[in-house]
Amino acid sequence: MWAYLIRRLVYNIPVFIGILLLVMLALRVRDPVYAFLGKNVSEETIEARREEFGLNRPLLLARPSESQFGRFVTQVFTLDFTEESWDYPGQTVGEIMGRCVGPSLALSIPALVLTTLISVSISLFSAWFRGRWIDQALVISAVIGMSISFLVYIIFGQYFGAFLLPELTGYETFAINGYVHPSETTWSEYFTYYWPHHCLLPVLISVIVGMGYDTRFYRAVMVEESGRDYITTARAKGASQLRVMFVHMLKNAMIPIITRVAITIPFLITGSFLLETYFSIPGMGRQLILAVEHADFPIVQAFTAVFAGLYIVVNLLTDVLYALVDPRVRLS
Amino acid sequence: MPQLRPLAVNLLFLSLLMCAAGCGEKSQSDKATMSGGTGGGESAAGEKVLRIPMASDGPKSLDPVKGSTVYENRCASQVLETLLQYKYLKRPFELEPLLLEEMPQVSDDGLTFTFKLKQGVRFHDDACFPDGQGRELVAADVLYSWKRIADSSQGSKVGWIFEDTIKGFSDYRDEQNAADKFDYDADLAGLKIVNDHEFQVILEQPASRFLWTLAMFQTAVVPREAVEKYGSRFGLHPVGTGPFTLAESDWRQGQSIKFRKNPNYHEMLYPSEHMPEDVDEGLTEAAGKRIPFLDAVEITFEPKSEPMWLNFRNGKYDFTTVPAENFDEAFNRRTKKVRRNMTEQGIRGYPVVLLDFIFRGFNMEDPLLGGYTEKTKKLRQAISLALDWDETNEAFYNGLNTIYDGPIPPGMAGHPEGGNTDASYRGLNLERAKKLMAEAGYPGGEGLPTLDYYSGRGANSQPQSEMLQQQLSRIGVQINVHLLDFSTLIQTVDNKKAQFFSFAWGSDYPDAENNLALFYGPNEAPKPNHFNYKNEEYDNLYRQIFSMQASDERTSIMEQMRDIVLEDCPYAGSMARTRFYLVRDRLKNFKPIETFDNWYKYLDVE
Repeated sequence: MWAYLIRRLVYNIPVFIGILLLVMLALRVRDPVYAFLGKNVSEETIEARREEFGLNRPLLLARPSESQFGRFVTQVFTLDFTEESWDYPGQTVGEIMGRCVGPSLALSIPALVLTTLISVSISLFSAWFRGRWIDQALVISAVIGMSISFLVYIIFGQYFGAFLLPELTGYETFAINGYVHPSETTWSEYFTYYWPHHCLLPVLISVIVGMGYDTRFYRAVMVEESGRDYITTARAKGASQLRVMFVHMLKNAMIPIITRVAITIPFLITGSFLLETYFSIPGMGRQLILAVEHADFPIVQAFTAVFAGLYIVVNLLTDVLYALVDPRVRLS
Repeated sequence: MPQLRPLAVNLLFLSLLMCAAGCGEKSQSDKATMSGGTGGGESAAGEKVLRIPMASDGPKSLDPVKGSTVYENRCASQVLETLLQYKYLKRPFELEPLLLEEMPQVSDDGLTFTFKLKQGVRFHDDACFPDGQGRELVAADVLYSWKRIADSSQGSKVGWIFEDTIKGFSDYRDEQNAADKFDYDADLAGLKIVNDHEFQVILEQPASRFLWTLAMFQTAVVPREAVEKYGSRFGLHPVGTGPFTLAESDWRQGQSIKFRKNPNYHEMLYPSEHMPEDVDEGLTEAAGKRIPFLDAVEITFEPKSEPMWLNFRNGKYDFTTVPAENFDEAFNRRTKKVRRNMTEQGIRGYPVVLLDFIFRGFNMEDPLLGGYTEKTKKLRQAISLALDWDETNEAFYNGLNTIYDGPIPPGMAGHPEGGNTDASYRGLNLERAKKLMAEAGYPGGEGLPTLDYYSGRGANSQPQSEMLQQQLSRIGVQINVHLLDFSTLIQTVDNKKAQFFSFAWGSDYPDAENNLALFYGPNEAPKPNHFNYKNEEYDNLYRQIFSMQASDERTSIMEQMRDIVLEDCPYAGSMARTRFYLVRDRLKNFKPIETFDNWYKYLDVE
């Protein structure tokens, strides 16, 4: 397995470098300094800033330490994110990313876990009652759920959860801003009070939105599995319905489940722009969109590189997981 | 895996239980601590805290030379101070000393200004000073702060402030930036220190705007020790002489910022000079009392209007601007008065007309639309006459904006009485527009190629552009709409590639010279004359008013300039936004204004 992993990692290095090159080229289609400095700026100022940011160096054709590409690749491979953000003077890219990853994960990990657990459970339930009214009702609910805009859930969620509920009960159960980072309090207080106060409502909204999509997908997987020969055989051998579903069917359905969960993992750190913006949670999603909007070149460049790297690693780990859950898959 | 479903449900239950048990109790105590049960005001510890939202993601840097947005201005103005400031209650706007003993003495030729700094003004206590105690402000600090504007390594966005104004400023900037190291101790011809509390500024030519720029936060005075100690992080850790201080830990990036009262603030009193209507508003009761009244100001960043509105309704903020979509909930559209359910909750409302100039511009160098021949002029006039600003105002701004003629916004000398002037070609006048189209050689739009229209990609850009398309189609003018992100739009306009474009200008100071500079020939793109408009007569008049002090004669010249522009029609317009504020009764001394931002020091909460 290790030989396989190392081989795949080596194969992926040129892919990663290719992605970095594409990222750099894409970000230079429009002059990033001009885009950042905005209106009424003189040519001299643009030139001065270009020199300051190293954008007047050759892109490729120079020694690695002198070309923009060489410097960028070196920075990424040595995890050197000390370059200063253009939009936030005095703050490094690493500092901003480090500050934002935590809040994003505080939303995205519970949302992913809950959505997956609930969706898989509902899909098993639905497959159990396949074709009956319960199944049909669940499918219709899932379709309706996924047809409503995310924004509608957020606006209604905030209105009922953070405005009407305190009006009616006098208790401010959910907050819609003022996220508190664990470093500002104790972990126990964070988990027992601050996290649910600030994050539970957005997590619930995220789960409700995600459930529609996931339930439909997992139900289709379960229904497909339930028609296979090994299920008939298991039933013929007298296995109980519960054993058939949870021991045989769920185990064989793990490959598509793992695939779906795995492709979501890199997106955990990108966070959710909408939730983070509406709930004032200072996460990566909001930060990245702000960086794109304000042409904060170092942030966009570094973040895209990190995301690409993470994607490659997660893909690799997914292959390993396949082998762990399905003995037919061999890593060779 | 049979435990999957129960586990999921248990997790959900556990979270809800934690929330119900934890949040319920805590939020009660939090509410009491934060707001006395209903929002801002006095905290449990007896602190007077003003709590307000800021409809943005917050400022990026409070370094005065780096800041350029209204959000940076608003926050920096609480910590840093300028030599002059606006009189809080007086309208029209007037300047008064802030860090000065008196208004500067001006020589007869209008070129030499002598400034006397106020005695005993101290910088905030900070680790950058020996023993952590703020030292006294001296003349060298002012010169150092202004020289920073010339230093390109500081990332200054406001070099124009002193360019062509302070003698030798441009030479100093060029020499020092070309040198290996920027020397702040090198001489700048137009800045002379007389003694610790006195200095002189010599101008290249008399400039009416000079004093206005001394009230802009970009010219605020900062101590050299702090800039050198904190380097590029100075913007996160500003040190000044202002009524409030800011600790780096009190700025929660992207979330909130909390300013605390400066215990060593120099003696400043609540103003006695006021407008007659201020008496009824209760704005004169604190006259003569020492400011600031507040112990802290806490600003929460609210990039989205919906949560901001809910938080205000929940009593968490002392005042807010009203989001357009919530206007009907708060105000009666016809009377513009606050609704009764709001007044019953102790909420008052105020409209504030902004110093805005929103327009559709023509590129005067464009071969089709630009130029100064009768034909092209009539084409532009026809387009201007076909635009129905009232329809746009009703459809997109609840009819609350102010429509006016000329480039000078309401509230400034030179703005036409009632917003209207005969020289204008503002629409809607379809009959006249069609007649001018025919005179321009395009009867019913025949023979006129499709125009390229450029606009920023904002919330209403698409429907607004569609409305423009529909309005212009009435006279046979067709447009291709290009919606661009803001930086691309600027680049396109700066490169003179935008034939017809939508832009806006927010005045830097309340003097029409700032707006009239938009049509001054030497200011052509990429400078702010985005129209690339050139008219010798206009340019001569501009140079004249640039050097004159406010007077009836100056106003009359500005009106003449306004009418020249209206006749040549390098733009179609104009519109100014109105911002509506809602204020809770417990907030005292509140007179909202967006022209300057250092007025939180006058506020008080019951």
